[in-house]
Parts: sequence; structure tokens; C-alpha cells
Amino acid sequence: MLTLANSYEALWPGFEARKGAELARHDTVDFMILADSPQTLFAEQVAKLQPQLEEDVKTGFALLDNFDGDLRQSGRALLWMGDGLLLLDDRAASLFQALPGNQRFVADLPDGPVKNALADLPDLRCLLELTSGSLSRRNGALVDDEGKTRTRFTLLELHGTDGNVMLVQTEKLRGYEKAHGQLQAYLLAAADGGSGATAHIYHALVPDHLPYIAKPKTVFAPDEKAVVAATHVISAYLAVAQRNEEGIIADLDTEFLHDYRVALRKIRSVLSLFRGVYSDSQTVALKRSFSELMAPTGRLRDIDVYLMERDDYYRLLPESLHGGLEEMFGRFQKSRKSELRKLTRRFEGQAYARQMTSLQALFSDTSRLHMGPAAERPVHEYARELIWKRYRKVCKMGRAIDDNTPDELVHELRINCKKLRYLMEFFAPLFSRKEVKARINDLKGLQDNLGLFNDYSVQQVALQEVLDRAKMSDRGKKLDMAKSVGALIAILHQRQLDERARVTRSFAEFDSAAVQDSFRNQFQKVTA
Amino acid sequence: MKIIACYSNKGGVGKSAAAVNLAHAAASAGVNTLLCDLDPQGASGFYYRVKPSKKLQDDRFFTDVKKFTNAIKASDYPNLDILPANMSYRDFDVFLSRMKNSRSRLKKALKSVDADYDLIILDCPPNLSTLSENVFRAADAILVPVVPTTLSERTFEQITEFFRDEGLSDKKLVPFFSMVQRQKTLHGETMARMRETYGKRFLDAFIPFTTDIERMGAHRAPVATYAARKTGGRAYDAFWQELSSRLKLT
Repeated sequence: MLTLANSYEALWPGFEARKGAELARHDTVDFMILADSPQTLFAEQVAKLQPQLEEDVKTGFALLDNFDGDLRQSGRALLWMGDGLLLLDDRAASLFQALPGNQRFVADLPDGPVKNALADLPDLRCLLELTSGSLSRRNGALVDDEGKTRTRFTLLELHGTDGNVMLVQTEKLRGYEKAHGQLQAYLLAAADGGSGATAHIYHALVPDHLPYIAKPKTVFAPDEKAVVAATHVISAYLAVAQRNEEGIIADLDTEFLHDYRVALRKIRSVLSLFRGVYSDSQTVALKRSFSELMAPTGRLRDIDVYLMERDDYYRLLPESLHGGLEEMFGRFQKSRKSELRKLTRRFEGQAYARQMTSLQALFSDTSRLHMGPAAERPVHEYARELIWKRYRKVCKMGRAIDDNTPDELVHELRINCKKLRYLMEFFAPLFSRKEVKARINDLKGLQDNLGLFNDYSVQQVALQEVLDRAKMSDRGKKLDMAKSVGALIAILHQRQLDERARVTRSFAEFDSAAVQDSFRNQFQKVTA
Repeated sequence: MKIIACYSNKGGVGKSAAAVNLAHAAASAGVNTLLCDLDPQGASGFYYRVKPSKKLQDDRFFTDVKKFTNAIKASDYPNLDILPANMSYRDFDVFLSRMKNSRSRLKKALKSVDADYDLIILDCPPNLSTLSENVFRAADAILVPVVPTTLSERTFEQITEFFRDEGLSDKKLVPFFSMVQRQKTLHGETMARMRETYGKRFLDAFIPFTTDIERMGAHRAPVATYAARKTGGRAYDAFWQELSSRLKLT
């Protein structure tokens, strides 16, 4: 059994311990979590009320969350219990919904209260089993001397592979609120201080679970050497990439591959942005090495993106052109399979394992790295200078762009904006987090605009390639697909033009006097 | 929302039993039901094991919506709440009119606690003079149990007279035969005669005199919970079916 932490508040937000047994808790929360199953629970009367327990029913259970741990972080726990889903929330009443199938994505769940309450979860992330085991469920009630039920409860004993936990769902009956409070007080005492917070379910059932953090926060002192900071960031993102390998192989959802690639891309940008921390020759070699890691994942990611656009593409085209889309998406599905197979073989091969292990070792500290001229510089000064320079570059390029500037320069601006954001993200711990967040936010409107402009142009090129690459003996099918792709390209081209037309204004908004002042105050070198 | 009053000016004719079992049948059919125990003897509350509420004797009771909503108690069955009331009829008039007004604070308060009732059943006391005619006016139907004896025939006539004298619509009166003993010739003859006199007003379904129903006092639970398939349980089921279709309750 867990002992009670220093304060109830810490364990159970909204919960207060008062004098004696009187408890106050957010009205709607209707379950308690006991760290273990006390043997003597309900062995005697509770506040002069007689406990009555039904026979127990045994089923299986699984604790579910997505890879990002969104449910755990938001104070919720989702349990699959044989016949349905139970959602517990630190701040709301629990919800239950029957679940006939084995759906892994929230969007695929049948309509119901649990699905509604999970609407905030990212669509692309599937639900994973953190752990599973056996569940024993018992209904019970506290009954008065007239035989009237004053409050009801359900005991759920969860036996997982790495730990046990007991949940007690309590039901408040109209006119008998006092008995409900007495039951809660009793449970709290019986649990020797177990708690109501869903966090305890995770502590008890998955004590060793390592949360996944897609954007690790690296912390370093202002006078830390630049090379140490760069090495830390690379090492952290290397670990992020590796955490995703399993999910890619198991093909759980497309975000694993996406996160894997983002992590590697960040490493590459550290190598190119943190100029001079490593020797030139090592920087070149490392860049090549990380490009080689990323290259085999590109095709699969492209296909994932096309498949995500599927509904949108169908909406954009009239039904008469859907035949060609069907043909095209059928091809995507097929090549996705073979790409995934290739990538899986690669991940499971020895060469890949060797490469990752040696990179890990290389970045575990700085001893095996070749220092460049900027290696020893204090990171704060170094970071400030990099950000300021990049900001100035973005401004210079942006101010030169008008509605007639060639697209290449707009792409250049996009890339530099991205670099500026990466720099601010990497070095955020050195500055006021709030301020950095505000600067990233200043940049957001412009970045979104440029991002869409780029997406539409990339999609046009890619669709053209799909068509060029398609080897088809059936000329009718080829013609269908060509018609659909042609129509799509026309629409995407128009969208791209619309985004392009917004660029000058987006930049002007970013380039306001207020934003200029903020960047200057934060990142310009103070001259004595 | 519909209001059904169970009324008889004669005691011991199966009025509370009808209210209790009707409430249970309605709730079981998914109709959100409130059973109000207006009979000082408190038989409905007794069958549902709900203790009389002290709060209700407070004079300020009906000026305070919260106090009223607090007095409602959950029964041991889904969709069924009990008001173990012990109040003056003047106060009860106020209660009923507020329940009928969908914009009243009381209705809103009940709605907010998920107690927006589809059906209110009143277990009325056996006394015409003190029961306000407003309660009869508010009700959609007044269920009257009639034991098929000569004396009860006379009692039912009194009720219809009362309704006419007070200018109330006697169309609301829904009599039904209660505690029927089929082996008694007198019961059979009285039933035949009354059905002829009152036409279709009497329910076809009737409640027999049976030990299943007598045992309610020992079980302290609706008949359907312990004798659903026996004579008593089946009789109340038929009674509910007919009533709900006549009053369009489901």
C-alpha cells in the first residue's frame, strides 16, 4: 500500500482533507483509487450502514494511452475492461462506453460518451496498451437498517503484470449524499492514504514506464561550452529517434515515422546551425551520416502524407474523377507495404544497429568529437549571436520580397524562418521560456503561410511524379488517373497562388516595430 | 410530463399498492418517474424503505427550491425517485403548479440534477375534503381502485358526484377493479353491472386479491421484484400496459 503523500492536493487536485472524516471533493468525481486491495475492506459496517457485496465477475483489462501519453498528462486514465471502455478523469465524472470491436484509433470508436471525451486527442495517434492483465469486478452497496440502499459502489481489482491497483467507483444517490461522503471517507482511511488521482493508476500498474517526450527539454548553464550544448541536444534527439523505431516496425500509427524523421532533421539542423562547434571535416561526415539515416524513410513518409490527404482529394474532385483517385490510392497502399517491409528489414539489420550504437557512443560525451573553433565559446553568448544573425537574415530576405519575387526566394525565406525557430527552440532554456515562446509565436503566422505555400508546391511535383512513374499496361486506367491528377494539380496550383499572395502581408505583420523591439532586446549583443 | 393521482375515499382498497407498483412498472419501462407519498400513513415510502423526511415539515420549505430538491430521494431502482412528503395540501398545490410550469425555478433545478420527470405519481390520502381540487385539476388522470362490492359501488358514485359538484371533468377519472376475488359471485356481478353503467371508463385490467400482493409488506418491495411471473406480478404488468397506452406514457 502506498502511504499518503505530504498533501492531498499533491495527489488529488480538488481534494481537501478536513478535520475528522469530513471530505470535500469536486462534486462530479465518482471514483477512488486504492493503491492495493485491502483484505479487510467492507468486513464491517461503514458509518452504521451494512455493506452488501455481489459475487465478483472476472474479465481482462488493458490500460490505454497514446504514445505521447496525452491521457496520463491530462489527468485521465482509459481502461478497456472486456466489454467496454472506462474513462477516469481527475476533474470529471467517469464515463463508460460499450466497445464491441478492437478499434485502435479514437476516430474509429463507435459514437459514445468516451469517444466524445477523447475528442481532444490527436487524430493520428493510436491507442496503445501500456499494460494488461486480469480484472475482478464486484458490485456493492451500503444499506441502512430498513434495508434501503444509501449508496452504491463497484470494486475493480486490476492485476497487471507489473503491479495491482483497486478502483472504487462510487455512486451518489439522490437524497443520500451523506452516505456517499461517508463511503469516500471510509475508503480513504481503508486505503491508508491511497488516492483518487489517476496518476496512481499509472504508478501502480506501470511503475517503470518511461514517458515519451517528442521535444526533450535540454537544460544547460549560460557559461556551458557550445560544444557541450550541441552534443546534449543531438544525444537527446538521437534517443527520441530510437524510441520510435519499434512503433514504425509494428506500424502502429504514422506518427512514429514522422517523429523519427523530425528528430533526425533536428540533429541535422544542429549540425548545420551550430557552426564551428565541431571540426569542419567531422561536421561534413556527421551530416552525411544522418542524411543516410533519413534517406530510406523519405518514400514511406511521402506515401503516408498522400494517404492522409485522401479525404481532402476526394472532396476537391467531382465524383466523375474519383475513379482515377481510387487507382492512385490503390497504388499508394501497395507501395506503402513494400516500403515498410524494406524499412523494417533495415531497422532489424545489423548495419543499422551498429550505426546507431556508434552514434550514441559518439554523442554520449564530447571526448570522441573533434572540436571546431567555436567549441569552447560560452553557449549563451553563442546562441544569442546565432539567433540574432538568423533573425537579421530573415528580415533582410523578407523585406526584399514583393508579389513578383521568384518562388525560389520565398522558399529560401521559409527555410530561414524554420532555422530561426529551431535555434530558438534549442536554446530556449538559456532565455526566458515565456519570451522565447512569444517570439516563436510571432513567427508562427508567417511560418504557417510559408509552410502551406511549400506543401502545395511539393504536392504538385509529387503528383506529377506519381503519374510519370506509373507503369500501366491498361491505357484506360492510366487516362483516368491522368485526368484526376491533372485536376488536382490545377486546384493545388491555385491554392499555392493564394498562399503566395499572402506572403507579403504575413511578413509585414511579423516585421512590426513591436516584434523588432522584442528580438532586439532579447538577442542583440549589448555593447558597453 | 404527466401527473397521475391515485385516490380513494375509502382505505384498504389497494391504492398505495397500485401507486407503488405502477411507479416501478413505469420506471422499468424507462419513464423517469417521481412517486410522491401524500398519504400521512406513508405506505408508499414504507414499501420503498424510504424514511419520512423531517426537512419537509419546515414552513419555509416551498419558498426554497433547494430544500425541495434535497427532499427527493433515489429509490433502489433506476428512473424512480421518491418524495417522502408530509406536507400541507396548500404547499402541495404550489409544488404541482411549479412542476407543470416548465420555466419555474423548481423545474430548472430538477433538470440540472437530471431529475426532469416524465411522470409524477401521487399517492393521495383517503379524504376528499382536505385534498385540494387543484391537485385533481393538475392531474392528467385520477386512478380510483374499486373493490367490486355494493358498498364500493356507492363510494365511487360519491366521487363522480364530487367531481360534478366541483366543476371538475370526470373524464379524468380512471377507475379499476381492485382486490378482485373471482370465486365470489358478488364480485363478478358487481363488476358486470358497473362496467355496464360506466362503459369504457373502467380499465379492462384488474388487480386480483392474491397473496403475492399481500406479501408486499413483508418484502417491502414492488411485486415485480419478487413475483413478476405470478398472478400479482402479471396483473400489475397488464395494468401498466393498458394505462400507459391509454395515457400515451410510452
